[in-house]
Amino acid sequence: MKRKKRVKKDEVVAQPRFKDIETNRLLKGIGVSGGIGVGQAVIIERLTIDICPRRILRPEDIPGEIRRFEAAVETAAEHLKSIKRGIGPQHPLGNHLYILDTHILLLQDRMFFEGTKRAISSERQNAEWAVSETITKITSAFDTIEDEYLKDRARDIHFVGERVLRILMGIPSESKIHQLPPNSIIVAHDLSPADTAQIQREHVLGFAIDMGGRTSHTAIMARSLKIPAATGLERISREAQTGDTIIIDGSTGIVILNPDADMVFRYRRRQEVYRKYQQSLMAYGQLPAVTRDGSRSISITANIELMDEVEMAINHGCEGIGLFRTEYLFMGRDSLPSEEEQYETYSKVLRNNVPNPVTIRTLDVGGDKLASTFGISPETNPALGLRAIRLCLNRRDLFKTQLRAILRAAVHGHCRLLIPMISCLTELQATKELMREVKRELTAEGKPFNEAVKIGMLVEVPAAVTIGDLFAKEVDFFSIGTNDLIQYALAIDRVNEHVNYLYDTLHPAVLRLIRQITIAGQAGGIPVSMCGEMAGDPVNIPVLLGLGIDELSMNALAIPRVKKFIRSISMDECSYLTMQAFRMQDAAEIHGLLESWIRERFPKDYFLDQT
Amino acid sequence: MAGGEQLLEKTLTVTNQLGLHARVATMMVQTLRNYTSQVYVIKDGVEVNARSVLGLLLLAAAPGSEIVVRALGPDSTEAIQEISRLIQDETQEES
Repeated sequence: MKRKKRVKKDEVVAQPRFKDIETNRLLKGIGVSGGIGVGQAVIIERLTIDICPRRILRPEDIPGEIRRFEAAVETAAEHLKSIKRGIGPQHPLGNHLYILDTHILLLQDRMFFEGTKRAISSERQNAEWAVSETITKITSAFDTIEDEYLKDRARDIHFVGERVLRILMGIPSESKIHQLPPNSIIVAHDLSPADTAQIQREHVLGFAIDMGGRTSHTAIMARSLKIPAATGLERISREAQTGDTIIIDGSTGIVILNPDADMVFRYRRRQEVYRKYQQSLMAYGQLPAVTRDGSRSISITANIELMDEVEMAINHGCEGIGLFRTEYLFMGRDSLPSEEEQYETYSKVLRNNVPNPVTIRTLDVGGDKLASTFGISPETNPALGLRAIRLCLNRRDLFKTQLRAILRAAVHGHCRLLIPMISCLTELQATKELMREVKRELTAEGKPFNEAVKIGMLVEVPAAVTIGDLFAKEVDFFSIGTNDLIQYALAIDRVNEHVNYLYDTLHPAVLRLIRQITIAGQAGGIPVSMCGEMAGDPVNIPVLLGLGIDELSMNALAIPRVKKFIRSISMDECSYLTMQAFRMQDAAEIHGLLESWIRERFPKDYFLDQT
Repeated sequence: MAGGEQLLEKTLTVTNQLGLHARVATMMVQTLRNYTSQVYVIKDGVEVNARSVLGLLLLAAAPGSEIVVRALGPDSTEAIQEISRLIQDETQEES
């Protein structure tokens, strides 16, 4: 990136502002999504409810004003519906899109809809005023709520009101957000979920937002989109103007408004160093993950969900697929996927030529997620309920269809089967019995299939760890699913914000569980892999290698860095750090040990996420 | 209980983790479109129409709170069943 600012021909050139404009204005917010962005501010939604036109209507104008309001609500609902239609289920924000339905219902909610009409007819307020009054009334009712999450929903009715106001006032609604010039930094008081869902990812270099914290919608969405973001900046939307140059550091939460050339240069250099580093890492993707002393080689594989992720995984240097999730085949539909549909999907993934196996995990959802398809009665505690292998053994028809599809597809490539949530031997035996049954049927039908597909179990229930020695005799490999294992072992729900601070991959109990399962694997002569976030973060890797993990499966983007890291360390170092870690009493101490070791040993590298 | 204009009432405890939050309220209103009964939700003496997302959110029914669902109409039994399913079962929420 050049230091000189280029002006694209379709870009609006910012009007020169007063000469004495303050440069390098520094604002400090909360860094909620990492990375550095340098670009031009685009202010979104400066409109606030209190600056709308107010007038008293003549009685004869009242019916017309009500119709104008109703039409605006209609248009607003249409907008939201079309936004929702435009976003596919595979959009990175897919999970958060229900909020658009909430907004559509809020538009039609009698408190808002009837309340506004009442204000028009009895108070003779013009539509804008009536909307603004009604919204203010409703949001102030939320003020008294103590629960933080529910209190926050006042923002939603606020967004809905603003949408209607913009239509009434003839202000284009989303024009800016889906027609952004390149290199935009989005500056807003707050972003509605509808706004965020519509941005053109490729033109946005950052978010700088007045409101919110780490758990606000914008923060969650920015992280899903991998765009640097700072929130809680309080007044950035009032201080910045569209076209202003702006720097945002999404790790520290620092935002610099109208930076001088020096400052831009400094940040661009930092950004460049970081980018170059990321690029230089890509070369490591193609190298094997062998420790520096050459004594140990780890298989690095990718976790994928959608078929089109395979290519990226290969580009980043995966040597196989350590976890192919099959859930998306089953989600968001009224009927179950047919054997042929599944066969096609699995075959496509298997035909990609990766040296190591593609590990297909059988359906791993709770009945709650497929309740409409299954008619399963409610469970009070779905995390401990009918899910994964339990659900599959309960619905054998479904499980058999999937097994048939996998065994048939396995003639096209190197395939392993991974069974989730096994907690006792009976489940494993029942699965194997079902496999035999399926094979007999396929043979009888004369359909080609692979007889020799290996079966592994996803080790994620603490009970399974403690009887790992028994399982090692029954399966061909272990794969440790750290996300769930940690959740079950530490009794922490990761999405519960009150307790998720307790979630720690380096908790001594977690390390001991991993040790126990690797010992069981080694004694039984079967390989042990790990999938789950823990496998992709260098901070954990010395200990994982020290404990004897054979394969690490991770998000494709993490692969080059992990490979470089493994190639930089020796097994002696890993064993030493592991020994140290097992002497420590808590996760913080172990974190300290590993982080300071990495920092001292590789001061110029970016192996730690915080740097 | 066979049809008829029954006034039914059921006391429920909100068991899902974020309480009666936006996703559940949205699903409740959407679900009730399939029913004709009048349905109200009452908490601490405040009664709201179960077809109003705002009303439901303003009840501020945090996890563990007790609510009463009241339904009047030909399909009141089913409507109440459906609502208790949503309030007590739906756990896959995000903040």
